[in-house]
Amino acid sequence: MSLASVLSSLPLVVERDEGLRLRLLSGLELDRRQTGLLIVGIVLLFAMPDLAAILGFSFRTVSKGLMLGMAALGLNLLLRHTQLVSFGHALFFGAGAYAVAVLANYGGVTSSLVLLIGALLFGTTIAVFVGFLVAGHREIYFALLTLAFGQLGFAIVLGSQFFNFDDGLSVRIEGARPTLAVDSLLGAELSTAAYRILLYYLTIVILLALLLFTWRLANSPFGKTLDAIGQNDLRAEFLGVPVQRYIWTVFILSGAYGAIGGGLFALLELHVRPQPTLHVLVSGEILLMTLVGGFSTLLGPIIGGVIVVYILDLARFQTEFHNALAGILLVAVVIFFPRGIMGSSDDIRAGAVQVREDPSVLGVWVRELGARVRGGLRNAVVATKHLLFGAR
Amino acid sequence: MLEARNLRKSFGSLVATNDVSLQFGKEEGEMVFIVGPNGAGKTTLINLLTGHLDPDEGSVIVHEPDGAGGTREQDITGLEPRERVDRGLVRSFQIVQVFEEMSVRENVRIAVLANQDLQGSVFSHHDRHEGVEREVDELLVEFALEDDAETPAEELPHGDRKLLDVAMSFGLDPSYLLLDEPTSGVGTREKERVIETVVEVSDNQDVTTVTIEHDMDIVSQYADRLIALHQGAVYAEGDPSLLETDPDLRRVLLGVEDE
Repeated sequence: MSLASVLSSLPLVVERDEGLRLRLLSGLELDRRQTGLLIVGIVLLFAMPDLAAILGFSFRTVSKGLMLGMAALGLNLLLRHTQLVSFGHALFFGAGAYAVAVLANYGGVTSSLVLLIGALLFGTTIAVFVGFLVAGHREIYFALLTLAFGQLGFAIVLGSQFFNFDDGLSVRIEGARPTLAVDSLLGAELSTAAYRILLYYLTIVILLALLLFTWRLANSPFGKTLDAIGQNDLRAEFLGVPVQRYIWTVFILSGAYGAIGGGLFALLELHVRPQPTLHVLVSGEILLMTLVGGFSTLLGPIIGGVIVVYILDLARFQTEFHNALAGILLVAVVIFFPRGIMGSSDDIRAGAVQVREDPSVLGVWVRELGARVRGGLRNAVVATKHLLFGAR
Repeated sequence: MLEARNLRKSFGSLVATNDVSLQFGKEEGEMVFIVGPNGAGKTTLINLLTGHLDPDEGSVIVHEPDGAGGTREQDITGLEPRERVDRGLVRSFQIVQVFEEMSVRENVRIAVLANQDLQGSVFSHHDRHEGVEREVDELLVEFALEDDAETPAEELPHGDRKLLDVAMSFGLDPSYLLLDEPTSGVGTREKERVIETVVEVSDNQDVTTVTIEHDMDIVSQYADRLIALHQGAVYAEGDPSLLETDPDLRRVLLGVEDE
């Protein structure tokens, strides 16, 4: 029996004109190269704790990046499909994180699973209310309203005894961590390192499920209808699409992603404070992640999440201006890679081929870049002059 | 039958629609053309009928068969545009309204998915509904867009964009189709092709069409009935030969006022 016939008898493998395909979902079929990339990606994800130990990078930061990446994945549902920009997505991330802290603190809940479900339910509920109020608005009004709700959440938590103000809440109950399902199996309490690794595995399982769901959604009639709303909501309405209800629905979904990410974040950090979860800068970072990774792609927000969190975490120890770095990063991405890393991957590959064939092209690019920067500076100087002294 | 009953709409001191009562589709599948000078209230009338605007007074009525040989009146004045679409009332806009970044096929598919109540389906693949794909293919052929099926809407020539716009409306399986200048901005030679296609498809499907048109040659060639609006009110109504026989009408249409 040949290898191909063995392969094609596997339940997920289908035969197409172009060769064998790995069929993950109806319509989601990967060719050989894509299957290879998928396997490498999954192996890398699962091997991350060991890789981190060997290569000496912070595996906790990667975890954090994936969790914020989940929120970015949710935000990207709005950005990619309905073309709505939310400046307040930290609200749902924070709602998930605080739901875990409150349940542990006041409810005495120790099971991670129950805590996560609590995070999902609470964050989604918030999204139901906020979504209802913002779904009728577009463009700048939508962005400002989400910003306002985000700030409202931050202000409430910061000023409230129940959430312990600026100091936040611990997720530990009398010093004990929440339990993962395997705790009881092992019989002994896990070390903190082992807990983090298991939590990481839980995170990537949830992440893979979210990615599959996101792909399904993006390629479903519903996803395409959301695209239509984003491109022309007037026409969508006159095609019989309940535009406002659909925006509300996708807003709720997008909040739910953030809530799960926030819940996992609380389990990772074991202490929830308002600044790293609810602050407007977190909302900005979530948005930045989707832009850095590429908002028109499925994986972009996750990759952007890991990269942005990693860069910002590194910078925190190097410079006092680490917050400015997010701004610099944003400017750089918008100018050089407006479609983000994943969105520009074809351009980058084509560029690499060009350089290999003719290295002198690099010089041309540098000159072009120089011209662009000079032109930009000149415009800035002229604009400033006009502002200060008036145009003549 | 679609009926406008004493519709009135003002914008400040401007009376855009002044006590308009009209009936469309008394004979199923009739082609009505609305003519009139700029500012006569043609687009406002379509906006009122389709729910893009709410009238100050009056009502929009749909007469539906009651199953016993008669008809039943349904007042749809307060309904949302999309609820009117469910009742077969579909429109196009004067400026092409399509989904620019989508291909021609995807544009038409959105309409057909909406018509078959599949637009909210999450757990299926957008292009794997056989019934939908069949209908999309038929529409593409009817509107001669099959060669451009994979072209993004924004890259189509203007005439084809107009046709795509109308094709999407037909994807909703309308009973009444209200077209706001389907030939506006289309070159003279293209015009013929656009209107010819629209007429042919609506004839085949027995759709009652209400079309705003400025080109009187087209009106006299294709209209079953003509409605002339002037200063928000119905100025004349009847056979398109009115254009020849009523000298006042011609003057009004050209916007030449008696001093």
